[in-house]
Amino acid sequence: NQAKKAWQQPELEVLNVSM
Amino acid sequence: MIQFSPLALSDIVASCKENIVSDMGGEKVMLSIKNGNYYNLGHVGGCIWDGIAEPVSVEKLVENMISEFAVEAEACAVQVVAFLEQLRKEGLILVNEEATSAALA
Repeated sequence: NQAKKAWQQPELEVLNVSM
Repeated sequence: MIQFSPLALSDIVASCKENIVSDMGGEKVMLSIKNGNYYNLGHVGGCIWDGIAEPVSVEKLVENMISEFAVEAEACAVQVVAFLEQLRKEGLILVNEEATSAALA
């Protein structure tokens, strides 16, 4: 058995920069 | 404002290719050429992004995440769908016909 990775709730973060 | 019907497990999704993606400290950061915005997808979000490089059903994507991460199936499905909805709202993914036709192009 391969150890599974820790899960974190995925969130899309919109960074406060824009070209 | 565009209203989308909620994503279902049977829907096919694929990443939009008009983005520049980079790994920064284990997290995936992306610049959308389409809207000029920068996004941080985080670590898990980056893995989901990698998982939709080619058209895949939401159900299959969730299965892949469950096999890779320590997470309950139901929680995983809810959170993956919510994340995909965020991506769709920002115009970062293609859904169903868009996804499959883009893959053939």
